Amino acid sequence: MQQILNGIVVGSVYGLFSLGFTLLFGVNHIMNMAHGSVFMWGAFAGLYATSILELPIAVALIVGMVAGGLISVALDFFAFRPLRRRGAPEFSAIVSSIGADLILLALAQKVSNTAVMRFPFDAFPVVVLSIFGLRIQLLQMVIVALVVIMVFGLVFYLYRTSFGLQIRSVAYSEQTSRLLGINPGPINMQVFFISGALAGMAGVLIGLVFNSVHFAMGEPLLMRAFVIIILGGLGSIPGALIAGLVIGLVQTLSVAYISSGVSEAIVFLTLFVVIVFRPTGLFGQSTAAMRIQRT
Amino acid sequence: MRPTLELENVSRHFGGVPAVDGLSLSVPAGQITGLIGPNGAGKTTVVNLITGLLHLTSGRVLLDGNDVSRAEAPELARAGVARTFQNIRLLPDASVLDNVLSGFHRHERVGLWANLLGLPSARIETAHLKEEAMQLVERFGMTNLAKHRAGGLSYGHQRRIEVMRALAMKPRLILLDEPVAGMNDAEAESLSSIFRSVAAEGVALLLIEHNMRFVMSLCSHLYVVAAGRLIAQGDPQKVSSDPIVVQAYLGS
Amino acid sequence: MMNFFYTYQSLFDHILVNALLAMSQYVVLRAGVFSLGSAGFAALGAYCTAILITAQAWPPVAAIAAGTVLGTTASALLALPLARLRGVFQAVATLAFVQIVLSATQNWESLTHGALGINGIPHVAGTATLLGVVVVVVLLLVTMGRFGLGRAMDVIREDEMVAVSLGISVPYIQRFAFILSGALAGMAGGLHATSSYAITPNDYGFGLLVAALAMVVLGGRTSVWGALVGAVVLISLPELFRVFADYRNVVQGILLMTVIIYLPRGVADTLISMLRDRRLRHEVVPEKP
Repeated sequence: MQQILNGIVVGSVYGLFSLGFTLLFGVNHIMNMAHGSVFMWGAFAGLYATSILELPIAVALIVGMVAGGLISVALDFFAFRPLRRRGAPEFSAIVSSIGADLILLALAQKVSNTAVMRFPFDAFPVVVLSIFGLRIQLLQMVIVALVVIMVFGLVFYLYRTSFGLQIRSVAYSEQTSRLLGINPGPINMQVFFISGALAGMAGVLIGLVFNSVHFAMGEPLLMRAFVIIILGGLGSIPGALIAGLVIGLVQTLSVAYISSGVSEAIVFLTLFVVIVFRPTGLFGQSTAAMRIQRT
Repeated sequence: MRPTLELENVSRHFGGVPAVDGLSLSVPAGQITGLIGPNGAGKTTVVNLITGLLHLTSGRVLLDGNDVSRAEAPELARAGVARTFQNIRLLPDASVLDNVLSGFHRHERVGLWANLLGLPSARIETAHLKEEAMQLVERFGMTNLAKHRAGGLSYGHQRRIEVMRALAMKPRLILLDEPVAGMNDAEAESLSSIFRSVAAEGVALLLIEHNMRFVMSLCSHLYVVAAGRLIAQGDPQKVSSDPIVVQAYLGS
Repeated sequence: MMNFFYTYQSLFDHILVNALLAMSQYVVLRAGVFSLGSAGFAALGAYCTAILITAQAWPPVAAIAAGTVLGTTASALLALPLARLRGVFQAVATLAFVQIVLSATQNWESLTHGALGINGIPHVAGTATLLGVVVVVVLLLVTMGRFGLGRAMDVIREDEMVAVSLGISVPYIQRFAFILSGALAGMAGGLHATSSYAITPNDYGFGLLVAALAMVVLGGRTSVWGALVGAVVLISLPELFRVFADYRNVVQGILLMTVIIYLPRGVADTLISMLRDRRLRHEVVPEKP
């Protein structure tokens, strides 16, 4: 039971991270391979804020979000925009993002000297409550609450504001949106910022939950994000969240009851099986990009 | 003799919207049949249905009397159905000759392994096909450009390459999707004499075009579609003066 | 002069093994298959070879052959499900495959000694052997490109809809390309194991996957020379510019981005194309359109 709880907490953060990832895919049809590094740099920024600038954790969280958002926008500018302008195939976008990922990783490695860092002990009050015989940390409750708030915020933004409408319009068809006078440029920037901010926030939260921040923390998460967004359906918000929870649970439970090594393999086997047999996932729609065959 | 191509009550719906609705037509061998209609009438959809790139919602497609409604695109191509594309689809970085050469694929007899290892049979076949491709290029008057990069040539040249590629298949049916769009009169004229000679060899041609003059001079029979439906058919002279047709074109 | 040679011999060997891997990556990309799985097949080949030699006392040549066969079999099995996917999905699926293999080599300690890796592999694959293998493979791939198979691959890669409309059997050819790539990668893995004394799981992880991709992106994916040029450049760059050794990944990343954005067909292919065009211009005066 305890593990299930832990799984839910972890899963909700996974969902948050994957949300940004799936948003990018839904709007731009690209798989941003550098998203994991955005996550990692968000954690770094949050850590910097608490340990060096000695800012309170809430502010550090915001710093992490903003850092994530800005790096993500920079990513768009350098790695994706030139290719979009040219109408380059998706292969190029993926390669470009891999290159950007390498750069971000290497810089982080340099800056941190490959060390595993931790948030200062007093960054978040360690309060453990006992409810129904389960030990619940205040941190865990706050995380879940934050994720829920963020998700509601995002859904509200997308479905109740005019900006959100424009974003959804571009996601549906960039060409049509252009004809309607919507300029995709600022829309893309917004989407990248939002997705990066979510990743940055996830970075700080994961850094707190697992009590470790290091330059390679993004890669395993990116891999899980693949599983999550494909399982949940590309471009689907509820899909990303539900699948996030599922994967979080699967991982936590298998680590607890089997072993950490095997849990990795299980996650990737899931990915493989899902991609092959049901690439639309649970909630996604089949796109022509997935298979060239009679439609 | 049975027409090479027959469409029986063919429909294709997207969601609830019928792009093609209850269309019936036949394309006999040795003649040039025209399919015309205002923009958005569903003409390219018809081509995609015939060539197997789209499922039929209902109806039948018959090739020389055989029901091919369920056939996949490569099967149809191998059965001798060739097409050109409305938006030119060439390999831009390949030479003219190589583009034409790709059309000969359905006639390649040499197996994969022979091609991989460069066995004599593969060499001979490739040399032979290159010769045939070159003949085609010469027939179209582009000998000097054979080795040039296809992507760098003029629109008119590129359209001719597409036609060459379709002819390389030695098909029994060719679907020409707006083959002279963007060409001047002289170019269009030279292309039309090639079409006539191809038809004379017994191939069935279905010509989809906007250019009325071009269509009138070439086609022996016309089908007019609007909003996915057949609104008129028959002799070109008769059809072009049919008030329903005039209305459809002016009204669109 | 000989001193120079000996100093750089291990670099040369390294280039040759990577060239094989690059060619494995090239084969799939040429046929329009977006596979990133070469590193995984290399891992299978390497570990198979290493285990057979060290634990089962197989003769090295047979062990390398076995490694190649394992790579081929694995790719043959994967080819079936993979053929139904396109683009990004193939990439992610093959990426998952590499991760699964990595997980297996890290955790199946009874077989692979886990993170410690396997040591004491006899140095059987010397420079001459590697060079010989590379030359043979290059010849094979150049031949492949000159006849029907190469032609079909080019059409599939450039425009799959056209390929289908010409009657080309896309799944058949893509499956073949994938299996060939698996064979080459398996062989590269076996040769790597027998030229490196020791192997660890991380030798065949994300780093190798990226390297394989980078070499082909850099050099070009439409001709074998692209893979070779890419291998030479990518492997020797950090050596030539020791200053950058620390920043190797940054340089690799920048290179990857710059090339794909500004020189998408890769250095070698762009050069070949430019030379061809220049030759044409001098040869004929084009007719008036």
